[in-house]
Amino acid sequence: MIQPFTPEPIRFVAEDGTPVQPLPERFTPALLRELHALMLRAREFDRKLITLLRQGRTTFYAQSSGMEATQVGLARSIRVGHDWVWPYYRDHTLGLAMGVPMAELLSQCLGTNSDPSRGRQMPHHFAAQAQNFVSISSSIASQVPPAAGNAMAQKYLGVDEITVCTFGDGATSEGDWHAGLNMAGAAKAPAMFVCENNQWAISTSIREQTASETIHIKAKAYGMPGYYVDGNDIVAVMEVCAQVAGQIRAGEGPALVECLTYRVGSHSNADADAEKHYRTREEVEEWLGRDPITRVEKLLEKLGHPVSAEERADLIAQTHREVDEQVLKAEATGQPDWRIIFEDVYADLPGHLRDQEAFLRAEQTAQAGQGGRA
Amino acid sequence: MTATQERHTDAAATRTINLIQAVTETIAEEMERDSRVVLFGEDVGARGGVFMATAGLQERFGPRRVFDTPLSEASIVGAAVGMAVRGLRPIAEIQFADYMGPGFDQIISQAAKIRYRSGGQFTAPLVIRTPSGGGVKGGHHHSQSPESYYTHTPGLKVVMPSTPYDAKGLLRSAVRGEDPVIFFEPKRLYRASKGEVPAHDYVVKFGEAAVRREGTDLSLIGYGGVMPDLEKAADALAAEGVSVEVIDLRSLVPWDKDRVLASVEKTGRAVLVSEAPRISNFMGEVAYVIQEQVFDSLLAPVGQVAGFDTPYPYVQDKVYLPGANRIVAACVRALNY
Ligand SMILES: Cc1ncc(C[n+]2csc(CCOP(=O)(O)OP(=O)(O)O)c2C)c(N)n1
Repeated sequence: MIQPFTPEPIRFVAEDGTPVQPLPERFTPALLRELHALMLRAREFDRKLITLLRQGRTTFYAQSSGMEATQVGLARSIRVGHDWVWPYYRDHTLGLAMGVPMAELLSQCLGTNSDPSRGRQMPHHFAAQAQNFVSISSSIASQVPPAAGNAMAQKYLGVDEITVCTFGDGATSEGDWHAGLNMAGAAKAPAMFVCENNQWAISTSIREQTASETIHIKAKAYGMPGYYVDGNDIVAVMEVCAQVAGQIRAGEGPALVECLTYRVGSHSNADADAEKHYRTREEVEEWLGRDPITRVEKLLEKLGHPVSAEERADLIAQTHREVDEQVLKAEATGQPDWRIIFEDVYADLPGHLRDQEAFLRAEQTAQAGQGGRA
Repeated sequence: MTATQERHTDAAATRTINLIQAVTETIAEEMERDSRVVLFGEDVGARGGVFMATAGLQERFGPRRVFDTPLSEASIVGAAVGMAVRGLRPIAEIQFADYMGPGFDQIISQAAKIRYRSGGQFTAPLVIRTPSGGGVKGGHHHSQSPESYYTHTPGLKVVMPSTPYDAKGLLRSAVRGEDPVIFFEPKRLYRASKGEVPAHDYVVKFGEAAVRREGTDLSLIGYGGVMPDLEKAADALAAEGVSVEVIDLRSLVPWDKDRVLASVEKTGRAVLVSEAPRISNFMGEVAYVIQEQVFDSLLAPVGQVAGFDTPYPYVQDKVYLPGANRIVAACVRALNY
């Protein structure tokens, strides 16, 4: 059984791919290859989305390069479509690994008619009902109290689902974060809080963020166990999260898991020059050396099941093809028209919005008549 | 004297800058002038702010006076209140007006009320600067215009410049004043709004609207990010022979009732423009006062152009915003009434 509150991050695989403790049996070469493929796919998705940004086809993107083990490991330790997830805006890798169709994700990023969220949110803020993947809110930590409530409902309903709530290290400073953990702790709700500690909140380092040595230690204050995990070791993330999920499902109450990782890219496209402003190239290089994908490749090599160069290249090419195809398909569905402004504000359109809709319809019709718009 | 008039008298010693430069310069000048002024918020330090409004200030004034905070608006606003009570002059940046939510309680319960509830024994002279408004493809969490939450709270002063001249003058007033000020910066004008500023130290007092152009047929009244659209609408109407008076409120609490009423008395028609949702929009108050106090002068009902009562959408954000066409249409309705 994995112990909470370890002084060092729990890990199974060292940076050079050597197991530092026996791998749990289920981590067969086949599973490790599958996880590797998922991580590589997410990384290439990042690359392609940066290209789309440069081409002006989308306007915002938050990379998760470097954090793949945390998100894929988490995705593969819960019951997808059964458990509920309250994610944050850097979680597309989590979504992809949970089986949210790439087409949906891209449609959201492009704001096309094929976006299930109707183009209302800025890019990279998707929602996926089939996966119980609740709509991402930009407002940091605002998902934490609702996640506690979701878990309380699960307890009330007597279902064996759990709630997963993710956030960055910065989020742990917000009052909502503390309110949510405290509530879940007091209610003994089945919630797993997962901190994707990539050590920077835009330009604010974890050292400026909190005087607390670690994030997981804060769990003590809320009466729940806190686990400290090497977030770049997919075996560790998956093993810890799966065990913790099991405990929570068994009725032991909430837990906090801190995955120590690093975002190797910029915060978002609005911050494309991180190294110029606030962090050093050396730090980035150091973390590139702990890359989660390379680590699994080295492990597989040591186990005698290396991923060949061709396999790797094929996987990459396949992802690129898939993104290209899905982008074209999504774009072909066009942009949602002005009506989306009024739909989904309420269950029914109240009178004042009916008036405003009629006003806009008249305006748009008149402008279309003149062959142009404002 | 209006801003426009003042600018002309200083023509010799002016420079042309944009709105965000005006903000940066003014903070620097005020920090230079008064060592009690400190600046903090998320990413304002090394990064210089997500819009670069505070670029270079940490280098210049050191990390004691310009610093990054933990990611918590409640902490930022609450700490600003505490510092102000203890004698500093904090300027706090909230990264986007949309993210004042977590700090809302500190703003309305602490900043706005400490003078009143203590009988004036304690006060919180602080400035909360925050980019607001749409037109930047930001979706609802980076585009909202939440000024009415704050104009509805007694004890706060609420201002929004639309020109570099006003940004400098209003920000100086804010920093030097004795009350908590919510200083909204229309982010789509940060670089788009350019204008002359005098080299000398001047302030723009709160509660003094600027007459951007004089006219006799209709008063077009707005503030912040929509002002360029008011100007465009006035140009379009001028081409049709309509003489429009364009007024920029500049500050909402307090607002310049006298100038607005005098203008409407002269023109007989008013169209009020803002991009915030319409229900409980601050302009509703302006409309009410106009009909209450100069009803007899009105030749048409007071027109209002506002955002729709929906969250701000990502796609169709240009349609959501009241552009010049929609403003012209509202003016034409008033003129044809
Ligand atoms: C309430 C709120 N305040 C500020 C912001 C602006 N903002 C967006 S991302 C970010 C940093 C978040 O850092 P962290 O929680 O560590 O997540 P990471 O981006 O590092 O994954 C900030 C300050 C916001 N979105 N919401």
